[in-house]
Amino acid sequence: MSKVLEIKDLKAKIGDKDILKGLNLDLEEGKVHAIMGPNGAGKSTLSKAIVGHYDVNVTDGEIIYKGKNIVDEEPEERALDGIFLSFQNPVEIPGVNNAYFLRTAVNARRKHLGLPELNAAEFLREMKALVTELGMKPELINRSLNEGFSGGEKKRNEILQMMMLEPDVIILDEIDSGLDIDALRAVSEGINKMKDGKRSFLVITHYSRILDYIKPDYIHVLKNGQIVHTGGSELVEQLEKEGYSSFEEK
Amino acid sequence: MKLDILNALDSSSLLKEFNANSSKSIAASALAKIKVPNKKTEKYRYFDIEPLVSKDWKLCEVKEQNVEASGKKIVIENGALLNSGDIDGVSVELAEFSDIDAEHFDGLYFLSHLMAAKAIVIRCSKDCSFEIEHIYTSNECLINYRVVILVDANTHCQVSDSFKGEAKGSFILSGYDIFVSRDASLKFVKTHTLNSANYTPIFTSRYKVDSNANLKLSSFDFAFDNGLNIFRVELKESANIDASHLLYATENSKYGIVSEIVHEGKSSTSSQIAKSILDKKARGIFDALIRVQNSAKWTKAHQNSKSVLLNSGAYMASKPQLEIYIDDLEASHGSTTGQLDEKQLFYLQSRGIAKDDAKKMLILAFAHEIIATVDDEYLANKIYAQFEQAYYGTYELDCMKTCNSCEESVLGIDQ
Repeated sequence: MSKVLEIKDLKAKIGDKDILKGLNLDLEEGKVHAIMGPNGAGKSTLSKAIVGHYDVNVTDGEIIYKGKNIVDEEPEERALDGIFLSFQNPVEIPGVNNAYFLRTAVNARRKHLGLPELNAAEFLREMKALVTELGMKPELINRSLNEGFSGGEKKRNEILQMMMLEPDVIILDEIDSGLDIDALRAVSEGINKMKDGKRSFLVITHYSRILDYIKPDYIHVLKNGQIVHTGGSELVEQLEKEGYSSFEEK
Repeated sequence: MKLDILNALDSSSLLKEFNANSSKSIAASALAKIKVPNKKTEKYRYFDIEPLVSKDWKLCEVKEQNVEASGKKIVIENGALLNSGDIDGVSVELAEFSDIDAEHFDGLYFLSHLMAAKAIVIRCSKDCSFEIEHIYTSNECLINYRVVILVDANTHCQVSDSFKGEAKGSFILSGYDIFVSRDASLKFVKTHTLNSANYTPIFTSRYKVDSNANLKLSSFDFAFDNGLNIFRVELKESANIDASHLLYATENSKYGIVSEIVHEGKSSTSSQIAKSILDKKARGIFDALIRVQNSAKWTKAHQNSKSVLLNSGAYMASKPQLEIYIDDLEASHGSTTGQLDEKQLFYLQSRGIAKDDAKKMLILAFAHEIIATVDDEYLANKIYAQFEQAYYGTYELDCMKTCNSCEESVLGIDQ
């Protein structure tokens, strides 16, 4: 099975603090990888490092995506190449129309892929089906981006973006936080529909609940800035019983 | 004529200097007291006034000429009335004007009145909507003129104020005296792009809002050079003003607003919001006072200034002030200055939008709150276009930025 993303000995800081301390991780094409770990282990820092967040200073190591080290690439270059992060707390942007923003993003990606851009009507028709599928309130799409959205609405909006942008690697950072059971089901169904045997997922969570809905192929335990254990879905049960303390740091 | 030498004259000498009759004595007395501003004048401290008042100006002569009367636009060229328009319920004439605001804080307001023998007086006696276009073409001179708008009682009007032309090296000294009579309303929308190496405008105005009247004042200034909007507002009983100001200033421009809103009548309300976007070495000015007099019980007064600096050389002089002489009121004011929000910028980039485009999107969003106050869709789109032209250098029409009709028709959304 080919690797779509290889993280090699990644060291990263936030401010003066070392967070990732030589992290190694391979994402296989078409597979769902879950990263589990206690609070403060570096899960969100890992996702930020992959998408090029300004908070994270990568001091050593490589992130090889589609055969190319992307550590020095701008966030938009990584996104155009097909990396998507669903944010834990999506930011509100008053004054930026949700639909206009998403069409700009979709057309930027289409242009990058050499596809014709969508006009307003084509885009809106395509979006309409997904809005219905996700159980989103239609009026949210002509409101300002995430402004005044509930936690569940923000997460649904993230999934809508993901479905419209059709990325190759999808990172879901605490996608289940703040979701009630109906929202969790709708969001999970949206994610599961994106599975096509080629697209890879990195699900970051510290609760196993989301993994009842999105079945992982691999589970990686992240502690103190390193992957300390990798296994299959059977690890969920072990983690439920024993917690993270049973996994030793390297 | 050098303006600063007028400071040596008393009021009667000032009247003689400008061949003004006694109807201008209020202006002469006030100017003799307040003086022509200099760099030490508090209200001009952030603006480069010295070169304007120390230069020996050639005065641009305002010639009375045959005035056209066609179309929905009133046209004023170099201070002279060119076209009075053919607008139902609107009369335009040149007339002596003496109802000068004796309490105005600005010396140039009085000087401008002293220098203008006649004013262009526009009376609105029916509900109406029209444009006033100012054209400047005379180089290296002082162009002075006054415009008066009288909105009769129970009348509701919209005026779009626009600017055109080049008058290199000239000083535009002008302004409005606007009277909104009781139970009337006026929406006054000023849109002005000031290119670099053009003229320097100082618009010094007075707005009197009578009982139960409403003035909605929206200004959109896109400045590549220096200019100042100065105004004083009087609010009578239950009168209201909603003032919104958007400034985009760049290059070495020093541009902004100096204002006083005075609550005179009880239950009067005011809201003043300023948003400034400053690039390169521009300096934005928002020096705005709201005064609540002891006669103005149950007043509501709110004022806010938000600025975005796009460059380390840009600077915002933001000075919102409340001066309150009564207890029984609701009032607030605030000011913030900062850069574009990093989190927002990153979010857009993380979806594949290039950093420059993401910045533009956020700038447009910042401006949107003010542009959205213009409820005339045609006018709002013109303002978007003018802003984007000033900020981007080009304008690309995309209906999704400003209009949701596609969403409504395709998705069947009820707004």
